[in-house]
Parts: sequence; structure tokens; C-alpha cells
Amino acid sequence: MTPSGTGVVDVSDSARAALAELVTAYAARRSGWTGGGAVRVLDAEVLGPGRPGIVDVVAELDDRLVHVPFGLRAPGEEARFLPDGDDAVLGSFVDDEGPAMVFDVTRDAVVAAMLLERVSGEVVQASLVRHLRDDKASITLAMEDRIAFTVYNEVVDGPRPELEVFFALDEVGFNHLAAPLALWRRAGRDLGVAQELLAGASSGYALALTSVRDLYASGGPPELAGGDFGAEAHRLGTMTARMHLGLDKAFGRRLGDVGEWAAAIESTLGGLAPHVLERPDVEQLLGELRVLQVSSQAIRTHGDFHLGRTCRTEQGWYVVDFGSGGQPTSMAGAVRAPDGDGGGPVFRSPLADVADMLWSLEHVATTAADERDRSGRDGLSELADAWVARNRRAFLAGYLGVPGISGLVPPGREALRVLTASFELVRAAVHQARQSEG
Amino acid sequence: MTVSRPAKAPRVRGSATGLPSARRAGGARLPGIRPTALPAKGGADWFRRGVFYEVLTRGFFDSNDDGIGDLAGLRAKLDYLEWLGVDCLWLLPFYPSPMRDGGYDISDFFTVHPDLGHLDDLVEFLDDAHRRGIRVIADLVMNHTSDQHPWFVESRTSRDNPKADWYVWNEDDQRWPEARVVFVDVETSNWTWDQQRQQYYWHRFYSHQPDLNYENPAVVDAMFGVVRFWLDLGLDGFRLDAVPYLFQRDGTTGENLPETHALLRQLRKEVDAAHPNRVLLAEANQWPADLVDYFGNGDECHMCFHFPLMPRLFMAVRREQRFPVTEILAQTPEIPDNCQWAIFLRNHDELTLEKVTEEERDYMVAEYVKDPRMRRHMGIGRRLAPLLDGDRRLAELLHAVLFSLPGSPVIYYGDEILMGDNVYLGDRDSVRTPMQWSPDRNGGFSRSDFAQLYLPPLMDPVYGFEAVNVEAHRRNPSSHLHWLRNILQTRKQFPVFGTGTFDLVPCANPSILAYVRSPQPPSSPTGRPRRAGRSRRGGARPDVEEESPVLCVHNLSRFAQPAELDLARWANRAPVELLGRIPFPPVGNGTYSVTLGPYGFYWFELTAAHGADPDAPGDGELP
Repeated sequence: MTPSGTGVVDVSDSARAALAELVTAYAARRSGWTGGGAVRVLDAEVLGPGRPGIVDVVAELDDRLVHVPFGLRAPGEEARFLPDGDDAVLGSFVDDEGPAMVFDVTRDAVVAAMLLERVSGEVVQASLVRHLRDDKASITLAMEDRIAFTVYNEVVDGPRPELEVFFALDEVGFNHLAAPLALWRRAGRDLGVAQELLAGASSGYALALTSVRDLYASGGPPELAGGDFGAEAHRLGTMTARMHLGLDKAFGRRLGDVGEWAAAIESTLGGLAPHVLERPDVEQLLGELRVLQVSSQAIRTHGDFHLGRTCRTEQGWYVVDFGSGGQPTSMAGAVRAPDGDGGGPVFRSPLADVADMLWSLEHVATTAADERDRSGRDGLSELADAWVARNRRAFLAGYLGVPGISGLVPPGREALRVLTASFELVRAAVHQARQSEG
Repeated sequence: MTVSRPAKAPRVRGSATGLPSARRAGGARLPGIRPTALPAKGGADWFRRGVFYEVLTRGFFDSNDDGIGDLAGLRAKLDYLEWLGVDCLWLLPFYPSPMRDGGYDISDFFTVHPDLGHLDDLVEFLDDAHRRGIRVIADLVMNHTSDQHPWFVESRTSRDNPKADWYVWNEDDQRWPEARVVFVDVETSNWTWDQQRQQYYWHRFYSHQPDLNYENPAVVDAMFGVVRFWLDLGLDGFRLDAVPYLFQRDGTTGENLPETHALLRQLRKEVDAAHPNRVLLAEANQWPADLVDYFGNGDECHMCFHFPLMPRLFMAVRREQRFPVTEILAQTPEIPDNCQWAIFLRNHDELTLEKVTEEERDYMVAEYVKDPRMRRHMGIGRRLAPLLDGDRRLAELLHAVLFSLPGSPVIYYGDEILMGDNVYLGDRDSVRTPMQWSPDRNGGFSRSDFAQLYLPPLMDPVYGFEAVNVEAHRRNPSSHLHWLRNILQTRKQFPVFGTGTFDLVPCANPSILAYVRSPQPPSSPTGRPRRAGRSRRGGARPDVEEESPVLCVHNLSRFAQPAELDLARWANRAPVELLGRIPFPPVGNGTYSVTLGPYGFYWFELTAAHGADPDAPGDGELP
């Protein structure tokens, strides 16, 4: 390879083997990754020539694509790794510049700042770089208090669906997002993204839990409790409607057949939680669903929309995670693509997202009540019900109050109620199934 | 310039001394009154570092046993105020008045209300306060007078008398319909018919408070003369009441008009020219974006009350989350470097809800108004302690937030001992009951007959003077009064609380409100805008400051909470807790963890790491 220049390089067989070894070393240390499989280096790019330098690698590991930006420093050169970075050094490497100590770029603040500059043009102080998140598929660094820089370690051929949704929403002016600054893409693969850091944000789940906790301590009607969540739920509903209008604008809509949805819902429930179908209230609900004589629009939705996917800052509510990339947790309410090939993004009723969030509100309240009142003697489940009822109302009022949203949901309160409740059943069943699996 | 003097000369006691300057109030002479010497300490921006104390003279201490607090009584309690550690007293109106609006209906601008004493009592009080380094500002109502004021009495006699156009008159009551009625539960219109003159007169507040006509240069001259008169006498400034409403224009709400700002700039210029180091504090109950206009470019008012912040503080502790506060700070624009916010928990008026949304107002009312009588106008007429159900931990937390946010804190008299209120008293009197000094007769406020008192003192078992009084608090070293005094002393040691920049510290826990106050860059030119929400440069500048930044962490929840603070910008600093001077583990490179008890808070001086205890635990995590 030619380390003195930048750009995608031809990788010699020996360099390829050395890089593969480094990828193997990286995989062995990465929690959640299965190591030991064969590694095949697909491409490499020198992003920072010299020392310290960066060689960015995409490789095949077992049956998936992995991406690792390697940092290179001259042996003996001082490197100050970020906390938890004791095992950052992965091995050594020799190129035309001589031998180098190789490490994970995201563990070295100076080289990580260099990487950010190369891929986004943003210049940050290395002393203000820190780890924000680290999961199986990506690592996110906070750069100063203004940029969140995500490096994807698991990549796919073609654009990442969640980034597609994210950038499309930004493009159409939906501003409840951490503004994107740069997309790092090579050979058609999305390798990373730099976006505004939502400093001082609290997750929607934590905020709702604060309210629930307060109610369980004080009792009484939730609207009179100190930590009332009603106004926040209303704002959250408003944001959700704006998100749907944005998705509609960005990707368009398709007309859905509620009859088909009814069948899909029933079949999903039958597969995941057959006992639910035996409940009289469910039987009645599905009966009402079957006879609904309405049509409804389907759009690209969030797909897995719950409190944990949102956060609150002093600027308001944000959607922070399109991890599902619009690929829904279930196909209930989905509309097949016109070509009928079954591929491509799924369109489905926006009420499915609404139902996800309503389920999430219920989930936070009932889980917290169960934890605190295992015997049920303290009556927290009644408080939970009251909290859920109030915040459902507030969320829906916020959602339905946004001009234009009526064009995306079926007409009439009854249709809204029946469809939403049916999607909620599916969501709860999916959750149960995930719990059983996990 | 001509200024109308009141018909009766102010009564003056005591001996005449040299009287160089108290004469420029329209050329009038006040024999026997001498100007006071101003406090030597403080410098031009004393108001940015000081702690203010709002006092109702009538309710503080009665020196002559007539049942009404007075200026001599206030002077007698200066020992206490000095001990408490306040820097500036704000006196509620002390002018002659029919007292239909707590003295804000002034009937003579050039003397003091006979109930409160004489002009020379005020001078002696000012002298004594200044000797102790305590400054004194007073309310001044520029917008209107009482309908008993001689100017209005004359103005209403005819349409062509010399004061005919000193007020705002009209043939009908239809003009300026866009102007809202401020006291909606009392007044139905801003116009009131005057039988004598057969015209309507304009009033933004009560109908017995006609608005002055600032279109008339004679009115401007007269009111500037009032200002000069009191500054000559030794007052350190004014709290300017109801400033947004000075002018009216067709098609507008009559609030925050450019003409009003121009007048304030003119006033500031006059004040600065002849009376440097005085302060103009604007009362403008407006949204932050409109409020900042009252600072101008550092050439209007020195200070403004930050009204929208106050209800948000209460909302934050009720919701157990910081967003009500951080939102309003984020919406607060930068202010010039030579200006300052005045921030407060409670004052003599109701807990103002004008500047919260309707939904939030309903929420606040539902939260705090257990009894409909407690509701006044658009707000809530309660004192701090009953608002918090007497929770002292909460009172300490709110004071800690108040004393550390950007702005100069204003304490309302009695709140330092967590006094209660009497919701059965009319209008705003519920929070104006006598100061409770001791468990003696009338709470030590007055030796008059009980029936003679201007208002009855509190006598209920929880907040009554037998249970809550200064004497008991002073005897008990663990009282709220001692706690407050202690934290005020601590605050004084760190001017950064008054003049520093403000940076929110990210924390995922919504119940944690954390921020760092850092020293301003020393080269910062006067007049450069400064923002309350987040400093532009942000973070510590260890290369330029001598003072350390201060980290403030507050738990708004009734439950213990963990706080993972992102202190990357203050990496390697060594936190020292301010109240106990306790060294804490140094800040590492990433997050810094602290745990806080219910309603707990910490203030940390972020000292340079080289001063840290080398033996202290050192990974940024607390045990």
C-alpha cells in the first residue's frame, strides 16, 4: 500500500494479511462480536498519512461486513488513550514509513479528532473528545460539546436505512433531530456520521420515569402531581405528528387496506401470542377492526418508536434514534410496495408508531408500579392506570392537533381508536416475544 | 426647567448642615437636608455582585409604637441586616400615598409618607446604611400617580389648566384597544370616565392611578427632577416600577415602545452624568426577548428583573426536572457586560404567572393554590415557606439555585426565617404582614396595641411569631437563618457567582440541574453582550483567570439521585466543596459522578489540579 498518499489504496497481499490480523485482534476485543472467523479485507483507505496516521479498513468477518479505522503511531510515541482504552493497542504494522503501533482510532482522542476533520472538515480540541456510546455495531464519540461522531463498525452494502430516513427528514425541514453535519461514505457504504450533539439531553424514558416516580410517591390525580407529564406528552405527540408529516413529504404515501391490516394483525397475534386472541376484549376489538369501512394512508414510519428513541433538551423533544431504519417491529399496518417484490422500505400506517409510543407510556408506568408494589397492596397499579390514561390523552391531543395530520390517519374517532388499540396489541405481543427470546 | 413642588414643604428635623446638591429638583431648596456619603466599597458594578433585600418599611420595625413600621425602625435594624450580609436594600414606596395600592399610588414625589417618619429620618437611615457599606434603592413609579396627586387634581379641573395635558385624556374609551388590561379581575378597561372634566383618562393599572403623559416635555422634566432629588439625597438608585407602559401608540399594545426606550436612555444619561455608580432596576414583566431591550446597549437600565425565571424555578422542583429552568435560560438572550439580571424567589407581589403559558399557569395554580382566596390577579399570593409546604430542604435548594444562577438575588424580607403568610388579608397584604422579630408581643415588631397594627402579625401555630422569629433563629445555629447567612458569606467570597459566565453541564438525569460559573475573560470590553444561557467561549480558561470556576450541582427531586456530569472541559480540575471546603476527587477525562440526597446540592470550586490533595481518591468516581 502507499501510505504517503490518501485515498483508497490497493492493498498488497502482505498488507492485506497484516490488516486482516489487526481486524481479527480488534474483533476479539470487541464485546458482543464473535471472533475467530475468517477475515477478508475488502478495501482500505489511508486517511492520515505519516504518524500519527489513520488506515481505514472494511473487511468481511464471517458473514458480515465490519469496518475498523486503525490509528498508527510511531513506536514509543506517546498516546493518551481514552478511559477504558487500556487494551486499545492491537498490534504493529510496517509500511513505507516504517513500523507503527496500531490501535483503535476511537480510543485515541488526538487521532479521533484527526479522523473527524478528515471526514467532515470539523476541527475540534482533542482534549474535549470522550466516549459517548459503545454498542456492538457502532461507537459514538462526543467531540467538544457540539458534535456526536458515530463510527459504524458493522456496515452494509449501500446506504444505511436509518441514515436515509434521518437525512431525508432533515432535508424536508423536520427539526426535531440532532442536525447532521457530515456523512462518511465510501464505496457506497455508510461508515460514519457526524451530527449535532444534544448536550444536556435526557432520554424520554428517564423523563417519564421521573413523573411516574413522583406520582407513586405523592398519590392523587396525576394532573395534580408535581411531576405531571401531561404537557410533555402533548409536546411529544406534536413532535410525532411533525415527524410523520416529514416522512410523508420525504418518501410519499400509499393507500392502505384496513381489511388487509386486520388480517395481518390477527395473524401476527396468532403467531406471537395466541392466548391474547382468547381475551373477550381483544375478540371484540378485532371484531370491530374487521368491519371498519375506512381506508387509510401508509407512510415510511419510524418503525420502533418508543420513549427510549426520544430525548428532551431545553430546546424541546428530539428523535434520537432511527435504529430500525424504518423497518418496523412488525408488519401490522404495512402496505406492500406496488411492484410487489417484497423488498425495499416498508410503508405502514402512522398509527403504528402512535401505538408504539402509547404502549411505551403504558410500559414505563406499569413496570415502575410492578417494581415498587409487587404485592399490589399499595394500589400503584391504579395510579399507573390514571397516569397512562392522562398521558395517552395528552399525547393523542398533541398528535391530532397538528395541522395536516388528519390527512394521514383514518377519519373518525372510532376508526382511530380501533386501529390504534389493535396496533398496540401487536406491539405488546412483539415485546413479550422479545422478552421470552432474550 | 420647571418642576412643580408639593404645596406643603417636607417636614425636616435635625440640624442643617452643608447642602450642596439636594437642590436641583427644579431649583427647589430643602433647608436642613444634607446629602449622605456613599459607600466607598463596591466599584461601578457593585450591583452585579451584590445581594439585594426587599423590605417593606411599614412592616419591618415600629420605632415609635404607633403600630406602623418606620424609617427610624428600619435604621434600628441595620445591625441585623449587616449581620445577615445583604449588600443593598430595596425599599418599597415610602412616599405619601392614599395607600390604595401598597404605596404605588404616589401623591407626592418629594417627601416620605408621614406614617414612616420624616425626610431627615430617611437621610439618617441612608447615612447609617452607607457607613455599614449597605446601599439603598427605592421604588419609583414613573408610569402614573395617585388620583390624589396635586398634578392630577389640577389636571382634572378643566381642559385648559396648566396641568391639563400632564395626563392622558380622551373623548371616548375606544382608543388603543390592543392594550391589555393588566388587573383583569379588578378593572374592565384602561379608560375611566372623569365626571369633573367630562373626559376619559388612561390608566394601565387601577383606575385610581392615572398614567402620566410623557408626550409632554414638562412631565419628563418633572419626573427627571424627582430622580435627581432623591439621588442628590443619597439614594443609590431606583427600582423603576411598571416601565413598559410609559407611552401609547395607535395599533400597538402600548408596551415596550421605542419611545419608552428612548426616554429610559435619556434618564440613564442624566443619572450617569451627575450620579455615577447608581443603579436603575427595571420592573418589566415581559418575556426575555423583550426584557433585554431594557438594558439597551448597556445604556438603559443597569438591571432588570428576570420575571419568567421565577415561576419556572417552582415548576422545576414540582416536576422534579430541570427543563422548565433550562428552557427559559436558553431563551434568555445575551445582555451587555455592564448589566445584570435581578432574580428572586418571591417578592411583595403575587407569584407572577403572566409569563408562563396558559397550560403551565393552570398547572402552577393547581399545584400551589389550595384555596381560591390565595389566587390574586394572574398569580399566586403566597410567601416562600407556605408555597413549599414548609419544606426546609426545598427552601435551601431553591436558595442555592437562586444564589448561583446568573443574576443578583433579591431576598424578600422575612423569607430568611421562612415566614408564613395570611391569605385572609385583602389583595396583596397576605405577604406584607409584620416582620417577626421575637416571640414577644406583636412578634417584637411594635409595642403598640394589637388593634393599632397596620396588619396583624401571623399567630398560627406553624408560621406564627411564637414559632418563627428572628430571635429564635439567631439562637439556633442550625436554623434556616444561619444557613442562609452562611451561604451568603460563601457566595460573597466568589464574585464569579455575580459576574461569571454560565455553562450548563450535560447530565442525562433530568432531575439534575448542573452548571459551571466561570470568570469572565478580563479583557472583556464593557458593553459586550453576555448571555445567561451559555457562554460563547464556554468552559474554563485556566490560562487567564485568577479565580476558579464554580460547579453547581442541584438535585430537584425528593429522591436521592445519581449525577453523571460531563466535565470534559474542566478535566483535571480538583473540586473543593464550598460550604465545608472539602476536597473531592479530581475530575478525570470523562464523566464525573456524584450522588445527591433528596433536594441536595453541591457547590464546588474547580481548583487547578496541582493544588489537589495527592492522597485523594483519584479516578473521578466517588466512593
